[in-house]
Amino acid sequence: MTEISLVDVSLRDGNQSLWGATGLRTAHIATIAPLLGRVGFRALDYSSSTAMGVSVRTHREDPWALLRLVRRAAPDTLLQFIGTGFRFISWERAHPEVIALVYTTLVRNGMDRFVVLDPTHDMDAARATAAIAKKAGAREVIGALTYTISAVHDDVFYAGIAAAYAACGDIDRAYIKDPAGILTPERARTLIPAVQAALRGKPLELHSHASLGLSPLSYLAAAALGVSVLQVGCGALGNGTSLPSAEELVANLRASGHTVDVDDRLLALVTGYFDRLAAAEGLPAGEHRGFDAAFMDHQLAGGVMSTTRRQLAELGLSDRFGALMAEIALVRAELGYPIMVTPFPQMVIGQALANLLIAGVPGGARYDRVPDQVIRYVLGTFGKPTAPVEPWVLDRVLSRPRAAELAGEPEPLDVAALRGRFGARISDEELLLRFGMPAAEVDAMIAAGPAVTRYNPDTMPVLRLLRALGERPPARELTVEKPGFRLSLRGPG
Amino acid sequence: MSGARLLRRVLVANRGEIAVRVIGTCRRLGIETVLTVSDADAGSLPARLADRVIRVGPAPAAASYLSVDAIAGAAVAAGADAVHPGYGFLSENARLARACAAAGVVFIGPDARTLEAAGDKLAAREHAIAAGLPVLPGGPVPSGGMEADEAAVAALADRIGYPVLVKAAGGGGGRGLRVVREPAGLRQAVGVASAEAGAAFGDPRVYLERYVERGRHIEVQLLGDGERVIHLGDRDCSVQRRYQKLIEEAPAPGLDDDLRERLHAAAVALGVHLRYRGAGTVEFLVDTARAEFYFLEINARIQVEHPVTEAITGLDIVAEQLAIAEGRPLRLAQGDVTFAGHAIECRINAEDPGRDFRPSPGTITRAVFPAASPPALAAGGGDGVRVDTHVQAGSTVPPYYDSLLAKVIARGGDRTGALAVLGGALGRCAIDGVTTNLAMQRGVIADAGFQAGGVTTGYLARWLTAAGGDGSRT
Repeated sequence: MTEISLVDVSLRDGNQSLWGATGLRTAHIATIAPLLGRVGFRALDYSSSTAMGVSVRTHREDPWALLRLVRRAAPDTLLQFIGTGFRFISWERAHPEVIALVYTTLVRNGMDRFVVLDPTHDMDAARATAAIAKKAGAREVIGALTYTISAVHDDVFYAGIAAAYAACGDIDRAYIKDPAGILTPERARTLIPAVQAALRGKPLELHSHASLGLSPLSYLAAAALGVSVLQVGCGALGNGTSLPSAEELVANLRASGHTVDVDDRLLALVTGYFDRLAAAEGLPAGEHRGFDAAFMDHQLAGGVMSTTRRQLAELGLSDRFGALMAEIALVRAELGYPIMVTPFPQMVIGQALANLLIAGVPGGARYDRVPDQVIRYVLGTFGKPTAPVEPWVLDRVLSRPRAAELAGEPEPLDVAALRGRFGARISDEELLLRFGMPAAEVDAMIAAGPAVTRYNPDTMPVLRLLRALGERPPARELTVEKPGFRLSLRGPG
Repeated sequence: MSGARLLRRVLVANRGEIAVRVIGTCRRLGIETVLTVSDADAGSLPARLADRVIRVGPAPAAASYLSVDAIAGAAVAAGADAVHPGYGFLSENARLARACAAAGVVFIGPDARTLEAAGDKLAAREHAIAAGLPVLPGGPVPSGGMEADEAAVAALADRIGYPVLVKAAGGGGGRGLRVVREPAGLRQAVGVASAEAGAAFGDPRVYLERYVERGRHIEVQLLGDGERVIHLGDRDCSVQRRYQKLIEEAPAPGLDDDLRERLHAAAVALGVHLRYRGAGTVEFLVDTARAEFYFLEINARIQVEHPVTEAITGLDIVAEQLAIAEGRPLRLAQGDVTFAGHAIECRINAEDPGRDFRPSPGTITRAVFPAASPPALAAGGGDGVRVDTHVQAGSTVPPYYDSLLAKVIARGGDRTGALAVLGGALGRCAIDGVTTNLAMQRGVIADAGFQAGGVTTGYLARWLTAAGGDGSRT
């Protein structure tokens, strides 16, 4: 039987998978952070380029201030940052010097656990990022084994990656990252031992989304195989397209004879908070999902799925969801099975959407329009594709004049050049935001001032009522009545 | 990771607004609270807010809140990891700190040795001298008082120079204090002060100190982890009546930058000398005309007036106390502490200024306070009002304890702004059923003398005289 620790992903992956990364603001996070820090989680999956960008763009809140706030509130818990090691907030490739500055600045602001995630499993890139993180002062670096189903991604393939992680001094542990939730218990029973053997004693964690209802069972299989760290979401931020619910998993693990050292009272408080927050803000709570065989083809992670649905709705194409999913599966195969992890889902979906739209135009053909990201991918900007790109697709993409332009793109700016552009006197934190985001958005964030840091979901209905009343024409009398309760307010005169 | 011992359940060994205050932070941090109550407080607001309640004895404090055995026993019975003693009662009691240590419970405050050093005014004075702090001329009255060696005491008073102040070595709060203006009054003052001190603190020792007529009471908030000590700025608490503070503000108004820095540095020096652990306050008597200051005492606990510091720093001092009690190093460096704006606190007491501030126990029939606007206070920006209270309509004010009902704290971008916010906030307060000093407080903050800032400790007595005794005719 195994002694299990949990890593909670509510704040980052939960928010991204279920609430489009925009659900949680500083006040929401700052209020619950002290409790999250005391539950006994081994780490919190806490931030990413995307999360930091949303903080600025959507909430007008300083993401660095939020990092510091949570670090102070949860001094005993590792705080994880997940990044690809080649970009920061913007989708453009960043200079290695800039990436190094990103990591040192993240460490200075309290991040201490870093995921090394190369979407093409390019080991040279992974080792380079791990070295940067360690040099910056990371306490723990964890290498991702991004799980997918394809002709090339078999157990031997993953064991090879695990062996490379085992051999790398800057990588402390590894995790199987299953963003689409397609790891079955059966596959877990062959994959996990193969990976564990190759890791040669370095610990292994499991991160499998609950999108298909498979992961609660895969987690039990993993625990039985000695995987001692499982990644979960809490309350409304667990289940659905997020990770398995912490409280259900704890009960199932204990029922299976494993031990889980978390403070159950605090876990219940955290769970209740996210449930009440979801209800107060009108955000969907993660629910148990049934199995859907089509998922095994398109393999879209939870966050990508919710974003895609929203984008289709905005285009008035909600009825084409099925067609888009089929096109996504096709494009992914043609592009050499990129793993559906950032930035590739956005790229594949962008191409699939372009193909879908052009199909309605007379004389239009697939790959008539090709987003820059696809051209960069085919050019090898993000590393070498895992399997070769279909030759006819390769030709269609590289024969475009835009491909020549992008191939000749200038080298990204180094830190000195960025300082030259944005100012020598601004902090590293501000410099990096200005590097990654449009100036107007950073200016608006600064103008908004410090973020509110307290939130009480229970007061939201009353505040909403008061706000709505304030917008109505003046009324002289207000009465709230329910069984056993009557509140009546009367204006003067 | 940090070797900290996480506190999961805290015994709150106090009552009133400070109990509500401590419970609030514990709840925010997910720490369970167990409140000790006397029979008189079983139905109080903090008793309803706490996760659990333990009755520790009958209403008189000596049999409940001041009983070391009862409080330590409750901590063990409740399975508490720590005891938060608040202020007053046993908050600076070394015996409780030792009893907690013996029972494996963390006492949220300095260790017993520091409590003894701080609690004994004479010992504290010696430590202050050793740490290089200026103290008022003075010295101990030999045990046995005037009877033992009248000539020696008289010579000490002569050396200090009249007027002199007779002070109790073992306690504070205005008891055991006598001002002596000429040699003829010395013998009686020493006798009365010693008897009072013996009755109040079980320690009849008294000492003499120079009495400064026109000084300001300015104190510096400290945080220490036993190794490192930082300050959270200063507070001016000069609006006092018989050594009881009534209005406090942060920062102290109109203080020369250099003097302010010297005060901060002196307080930190004493903290470092004591290897101070926890939250504490070093009190000074400041002669602003001469830009001189003297060490008065060190209070080894949270102060009533801590919210004004929180309002201008954005910090939660109770949370810092809990973090230190968990064995963590200070989470802040001096450079992390920033000050923004100005904050003023008015204490609303159930006492009758028209009848020599006689306490006014009873049942509160109406209690209206302004709505709090905590985000402004918490974020360190903008105007804000905070009310720390333990009373509502229907609350009883027992005759056994101090008469503090509420603290109204206002914050503004500067002192003028804070005064305006405070005036508005006090205007919206209404308490019926017991007599309060609310009208007097409104009068004081509207007074031109107070509004000018930088009043001395004699200010309130003069104002009361001018206002007709109770301030109600202003």
